[in-house]
Amino acid sequence: MNATIIFLLLLALMLTGMPISISLGLTVLSFLFLFTHVPLESVALKLFTGIEKFEIMAIPFFILAGNFLTHGGVAKRMIRFASSMVGHWYGGLGLSGVVACALFAAISGSSPATVVAIGSILLPAMVKAGFPNKFGAGVITTSGALGILIPPSIVMVMYSVATNTSVGALFMAGVVPGLGLALTLGAVTYYRARKYDYPRLPKASFAERFKTFRESAWGLLLIVIVMGGIYSGMFTPTEAAAMSAVYAFFVAVFVYKDLGIKDVPRVLLNSANMSAMLLYIITNAVLFSFIMTNENIPQALADWMLGHGLGMITFLLACNVILLLAGNFMEPSSIVLIFAPILFPVAVKLGIDPVHFGIMMVVNMEVGMCHPPVGLNLYVASGITKMGITELTVAVWPWLLAMLGYLVVVTYWPGLSLWFPRYLGMM
Amino acid sequence: MKYLDRLEELIITFLMGAATLIIFVAVIHRYAAGMSIPGLQDWLLALDLGWAQELTIIMFVWMAKFGAAYGVRTGIHVGVDVLINRLDERMRKKFIIFGLLAGATFTGIVGTLGAYFVWENGAHYAFLTLTGMPVGDIPQGPTTPDLEWPTWMVYSAIPLGTSLMCFRFLQVLVGFLKTGELPHHDHGHVDGLEEETVPVDVDFYGLDDNLHMRDLKHSMVGDDRRKVAAPVDPDRRKIDLGGEPK
Repeated sequence: MNATIIFLLLLALMLTGMPISISLGLTVLSFLFLFTHVPLESVALKLFTGIEKFEIMAIPFFILAGNFLTHGGVAKRMIRFASSMVGHWYGGLGLSGVVACALFAAISGSSPATVVAIGSILLPAMVKAGFPNKFGAGVITTSGALGILIPPSIVMVMYSVATNTSVGALFMAGVVPGLGLALTLGAVTYYRARKYDYPRLPKASFAERFKTFRESAWGLLLIVIVMGGIYSGMFTPTEAAAMSAVYAFFVAVFVYKDLGIKDVPRVLLNSANMSAMLLYIITNAVLFSFIMTNENIPQALADWMLGHGLGMITFLLACNVILLLAGNFMEPSSIVLIFAPILFPVAVKLGIDPVHFGIMMVVNMEVGMCHPPVGLNLYVASGITKMGITELTVAVWPWLLAMLGYLVVVTYWPGLSLWFPRYLGMM
Repeated sequence: MKYLDRLEELIITFLMGAATLIIFVAVIHRYAAGMSIPGLQDWLLALDLGWAQELTIIMFVWMAKFGAAYGVRTGIHVGVDVLINRLDERMRKKFIIFGLLAGATFTGIVGTLGAYFVWENGAHYAFLTLTGMPVGDIPQGPTTPDLEWPTWMVYSAIPLGTSLMCFRFLQVLVGFLKTGELPHHDHGHVDGLEEETVPVDVDFYGLDDNLHMRDLKHSMVGDDRRKVAAPVDPDRRKIDLGGEPK
């Protein structure tokens, strides 16, 4: 009963279009005022302690690191490196787009950023080379989404905040599924390019490959610092994030020289703006999950599931459907913060590995970024290609279908995500 | 007003940069102190940076509160706006006003709660001691574990930042009532695409993506779904994207 009231209230408030953080907070406040006798002091305390965790501070640091390197210059280097490696295969520039997106997305950590940066450079080049506009748009829109699966990823930090799962293990678990998804998208690109006989690039010489690698290596080293630092135990994830922010600043200003010192305050302000927005959602989501636990809602859901003999397979299927639906209305961070605290206890009770569940959620979020009505990547791509959303949705379809298939594989094959962190002994 | 805007921007820019540097220095210090360089090592070991973590958290809490207020001004807070973006202008206007008022109400309540909490947890005591009045049995309030700062000072970020946010919501509301515009339709993110470079301050959360309320003066990038499959008027594109369509 209480659960119904809470959810209806939240849904009603959200649909009026107010910020998600405000609707979460208002739901909690009005529920507490009207239906319970929980002392308000405990709410006040939660408001203060909501984001007082060192782990959460990884989010602003990763955003800062990404913003320093989200630059056309970095994107150009990644594209040159990628096209010297795979450009001579079928799909040429398209395949390079997938690889460049994967590399750039890992560094910038933001999917729409990847679509803007890679897309605005590569798409005109692809059209010039004779690819249809639709093909390029489809490749870039879907490959850009790799950013939240290949570590370092902000959505994974969100998941670990919401469920107390280890960030390190999640990052490592993202590697294999991330590469797998890149391969899947690459395979679709290759297949379609071969079928329609799209142009290929001349094969690059070894010297050329080495040169482009050396240029992009500075940016790619960021991933090595984060992953290596966490794996070797040199840094905690938050420290690794801060180190990567300083490193990104160093590379952007002194090595690549894409940014001048005078641009730095602007990058800082912009990153602070984004992180404050996300931290504000976290604060209110913590409040929300506090009343969820207080009302025993996840517990009741788990008991109901077990009572009706619904097992892991049905539960995972239901999760995917719910999350895909939610992906129609919200962006990834909010979805993870609202749904993870509800679904996670049930998943644990059914014996699903927390890390595997996290990876499944992240892949799900990726699909959500590529289809309307809310799909950040689609809108960014629409801005670049000047194609309408409906037209783009048709263009994205083959890759989106492959992604959905891949989602099923990730959901029902825990080994895919769990093998690597287990091999490294991180879980 | 302009000074308040500037101050707000300065505070959050500074906090972001300084917090990053503090953690960086603390990590470097930890490893440098482990190396056996005579003289330097003793000096480094004598420095205790155990407070770095706590200070960073405090700085980020302040940044989050003031940044959230700044975010209202820049229109970055995301919502579920798929439905209201499809309503006609009259209805949408009502919902937008309701949303902004709800924001102001929530932040107002939280700000008041926060002020009360801070007052009860030491600010009252500090005020009385400062003015030399008898303290009576009013508690002194707790301090933070590492820095041993009074917690009420740390937590005053909540009444201050949240009240500012409340003020920003009202400010946006007044602006909307006057002009029918909301503060996020700066299509800066597609500027400069012709030069094939991305502008430095691309704001990915500030896009027209049905995550933000559409105001009465601007249309959205993408197509108009009320007339499905109708081609987008090239002139509208030109205005929206700030350049010639290709």
